[in-house]
Amino acid sequence: MKRYFLEVSVALALGAVLLALAVFAPAFYQPQPLLSLAAREAPTLVVACGMALVIICRHIDISLGAQFSVCSVCAGLLAAMHWPLVFVLPASILLGAIFGAINGALVAGLGLPSIVVTLATMATWRESLRWWREGVWVDLPDGLQWFGLSQFAGQWTLILVALTLLAALALAMRHLAAGRFIYAVGSDTEAARLAGIRPQRVTFGVFVLAGAMAGLAAMMNVIQSPQVDPNSGTGLELKTIAAVVVGGVAISGGRGNLWGAFAGLLLLACVGPALTHLHVEPYWDKAIQGAVILLAVVADGLRRRQKTL
Amino acid sequence: MRHESFLLLMLIAEWLLFAAVGRNFTTLDNTFDIIRHSGEIGLLALALTAVILTGGIDLSVGSLLGLCAILFGKLWRDASLPIWLAMTCTLGAGALAGGFNAALITGLRLPPLIVTLGAFSLFRGLAEAITRGMDTFTNFPPTFLRLGQERWLGLPAQAPILILFATGIWLLVHRTTFGRSFRAIGFSPEGARYAGIPVGRRVTMVYVLAGLTAAMSAILYTARLGQAKADAGTGYELLAITAVVLGGTSIFGGTGSVHGTLLGVAALAVLNNGLVHARQPREVAGLLTGLLLLLALAGPVLLKKLAERRGRWHSPAPAIQNNETA
Amino acid sequence: MTFQGGFLGLSVKRETSMSPLLRLDSVTKSFGAVRALKGVSFDLRPGEVHALVGENGAGKSTLIKIITGAHPPDSGAIEIAGAPVRHLNPAAARQLGIACIYQQPALFADLTVAEAIALRLEPPGGLRRVIWSERHARAVQLLSQIGARISPDTEVSQLSAPEQQLVEITCALGGGARILILDEPTASLTRKEAELLFALVRHLRSTGVGIIYISHRLEEIFTLADRVTVLRDGVSLGTRTAGELDETALIKLMIGRDVSQLYPPAEGEPGETALSLRDVGCAAGGVHHVSLDIRAGEILGLAGLVGAGRTELARALFGITPADSGEVRRSGERVDIQSPQQAIACGIAYVPEDRRRHGVILEMPIAANITLAAHSRLFPAAWLRLGVEQSVACEMMRNLDVRASGPDAPARSLSGGNQQKVALARWLATQPKVLILDEPTQGVDVGAKSEIHRILRRLAGAGMAVVMISSDLPEILGMSDRIAVMRGGTIAAMLPGRASAHEVMAAALGQPATGL
Repeated sequence: MKRYFLEVSVALALGAVLLALAVFAPAFYQPQPLLSLAAREAPTLVVACGMALVIICRHIDISLGAQFSVCSVCAGLLAAMHWPLVFVLPASILLGAIFGAINGALVAGLGLPSIVVTLATMATWRESLRWWREGVWVDLPDGLQWFGLSQFAGQWTLILVALTLLAALALAMRHLAAGRFIYAVGSDTEAARLAGIRPQRVTFGVFVLAGAMAGLAAMMNVIQSPQVDPNSGTGLELKTIAAVVVGGVAISGGRGNLWGAFAGLLLLACVGPALTHLHVEPYWDKAIQGAVILLAVVADGLRRRQKTL
Repeated sequence: MRHESFLLLMLIAEWLLFAAVGRNFTTLDNTFDIIRHSGEIGLLALALTAVILTGGIDLSVGSLLGLCAILFGKLWRDASLPIWLAMTCTLGAGALAGGFNAALITGLRLPPLIVTLGAFSLFRGLAEAITRGMDTFTNFPPTFLRLGQERWLGLPAQAPILILFATGIWLLVHRTTFGRSFRAIGFSPEGARYAGIPVGRRVTMVYVLAGLTAAMSAILYTARLGQAKADAGTGYELLAITAVVLGGTSIFGGTGSVHGTLLGVAALAVLNNGLVHARQPREVAGLLTGLLLLLALAGPVLLKKLAERRGRWHSPAPAIQNNETA
Repeated sequence: MTFQGGFLGLSVKRETSMSPLLRLDSVTKSFGAVRALKGVSFDLRPGEVHALVGENGAGKSTLIKIITGAHPPDSGAIEIAGAPVRHLNPAAARQLGIACIYQQPALFADLTVAEAIALRLEPPGGLRRVIWSERHARAVQLLSQIGARISPDTEVSQLSAPEQQLVEITCALGGGARILILDEPTASLTRKEAELLFALVRHLRSTGVGIIYISHRLEEIFTLADRVTVLRDGVSLGTRTAGELDETALIKLMIGRDVSQLYPPAEGEPGETALSLRDVGCAAGGVHHVSLDIRAGEILGLAGLVGAGRTELARALFGITPADSGEVRRSGERVDIQSPQQAIACGIAYVPEDRRRHGVILEMPIAANITLAAHSRLFPAAWLRLGVEQSVACEMMRNLDVRASGPDAPARSLSGGNQQKVALARWLATQPKVLILDEPTQGVDVGAKSEIHRILRRLAGAGMAVVMISSDLPEILGMSDRIAVMRGGTIAAMLPGRASAHEVMAAALGQPATGL
């Protein structure tokens, strides 16, 4: 159980926040707003899964937000050109995977540090998108929103898709050899190589997967409204990194799991509305997010320090 | 020296290109404009050179610039401090913020990446919170604004500041024992420790310097624009890091030079300015900056791989990999 | 960590098949100008412990690297299980059942023992289902086969060094290794842990595994080995059964002459006490109640099994893990050293054991390395005087005969011996009064080794107090004016420089020194 100390703490903190909300701001639990919140955060969960994988592999990808934005706009444009949904979805995922492959080639193939590579690709995709679209929103055709279903059905579909993906990936990370390779490479690349694992392939694959998730999440975001905001991915990478780190995934790689990331995301997602209900202004959001990241990292640092003493 | 020569050639090529394509690019006024606009990024890049040499990184300098700008405005307007006192307090705040980063990085042995990423969010968030997302500070005294907008001895006011600071950092990195210890720490923190270098103190020094520099840049920024807003310095960390890496400093630490960083800053400043004169939108500059960073990173590695492959063709005997002979 | 009772002392049946597991025939290997191995022949039979003995620089590591496929031999033949092998590489060697257990285990710190074993033994394909119960069961089975009481669910980072070593051995055996190479396996073990390892080795021997055992600790050789091969200067002096030799004869074979003839003789008398320790202890390092006088002009050898606390004592004196009890006096004055900077200020220098990680900074030029510890002395006011640096570096390189293309060459371009000289130069540049060296000739070729010995003797003759930590028994015996033997974190015995190998080892082991 000590192994899962961080994950348990997060779950407890989450429980405490939910309890506090139930007592002080029961309006939080109204079904429709809560459902909308969950549906809005479903794409974030998908991206967070990808981010968790990258971080477990001892890398980082701060271009996922920009990838998300580009894929959203492209998906929207394809839909606006009356492509059927059944083609738009794979196209979005594929585009994300290509972005991921570029990151992966640079990091795994050339051995460049992921922080700077993804910083550069983030700027490239983001500025390219701004140049191309000049901030113009994409109008989507009727019938695309919520897959043509009712809002209720559409929201539940998104939530279930996100949860299914989470469960599938979590299972794969635990029970599929390739998932274990990610942990191995993140823990000790050299030992992994000696064990016959190909660290470069694993790293490349992780970035491609993260990109594909961004593409999927973009699609999940697009069908929630009649228009696509080209800035929808702003801040996404920071949010998912915060969620993942809070959820017990160590920046040093090799440890943590997706369930912890899920709990971390829930915690952060609740903190926002909780603060709103407590009448804290929204301009405190970023500061709180930063503080949460730092607290999580400090807590992990203190715990590790205690271990070595 | 090769990397810097290559960069110098690229800078000259850039200049020629924009001289041909742009209008009013090669005027003296425009050169001054370039210098004026590169003041803040230049300062940040210089300070980040020292940080990156130690093998660390500071993603929070841009956000800290914003926070310091806001603090400066608040001290001046709401606390009614005289401008020079507000400046001093802001510098202190910047140094303190840098010390905060340093404490987490050296005291708790946390990775600089995630600490400064959290700080990046925290500092910007504090700036937004203090201004409630909308407040702007303006109406600074004209004497202060001269710092950012006027000329001293025919040069823009940023020039002597930049030159002075660049000289100081160059001396620090290349001619003092501090600089030597930064490199040692970047190559091998444990090795540096066994050589008697006070690693914790040196690392604290570079992060405090980075914080102090962010505060200085904030003051320059406010003087140049005549106003302080919470979004000041957005994206500056990317530009500063790009300039440093472009200039040949390894992101892993140990190798690098201050003159390289200056060339990198110049290359980026000319790029930005030249694109404006070529009537290209702002985003093209951002896009090219990202691509330039990728090129600066990937280029040396690709060249080395090519050289290795060519070497392997000529001499099949493997080079001595390690030095153990017993 | 304990062993299950089962097999202790009960192994009897040994395979006595005639075909050797491994045979090397006239193997030669050179690195540049250094001839590491010259026509060495070696063979390993199934079910035997074959010790490989030799001083630092004799060629043991090179021989092992050839066996594991890390380096190809320049000439000579390799035969495994009777079949000749060409183009041996590490992966092929593992396939053929050769496994080497190094001091640094290649395990995954964040994962469990079961997973660490599984990752090494499972096939590399990624698209296969992981069945944790199988992993657990296999780990339990393999661990129990060697009698290790380690729970497979333990995280690797929670294991002690000997436990990690056992897991490594488990992986090797699980992978079907029939040839096991143990390279200084007792380096981080306590006496008790070493005994358990010996029991395991005997058990493995009884199952037909062939073990190549490399150790500086001659007493281990005599406890475990069936046969001994002695290397000297890259040449094999033949293989004998363990019963044919005793320590003195073995040492004579290793160094070719009497110990007293090989090393530079002492000159002059020791001077005043440079550093005096009274009841010094460092809880974190396991050192306690150390009382010692380190005198100027003499070389004090610090002997003992690794784990006895020698490096920890040095690190306490140097301020890396400071002492927390007792008194240290520098020329009579009480000092409290809490950091390496303070130690340097007190005139204490420490040349560390891990040359490549702590002794030099490989990527920096030689001159920068040499001046790195002496900034406060050479560069007042923190100003780097490059001219001074060059002249100091050149002078040092001349005095120590460092062979390099110039003072600006990166340290990584040097051979091990020259790197060690640069590490030494770095500390000499601080003009210390007390110089502590930790395994100064480990991984150094024979030529450089004797040069370093001459330098140390010269320094002592000029009045420096030299403390030499070494696991190389001939070196300790040949170089020391006095020998302090450590055991269990404290000084077990103070012996004169003329002590015999047997006396030193007995003190190190805690046995009474009986006549031999």
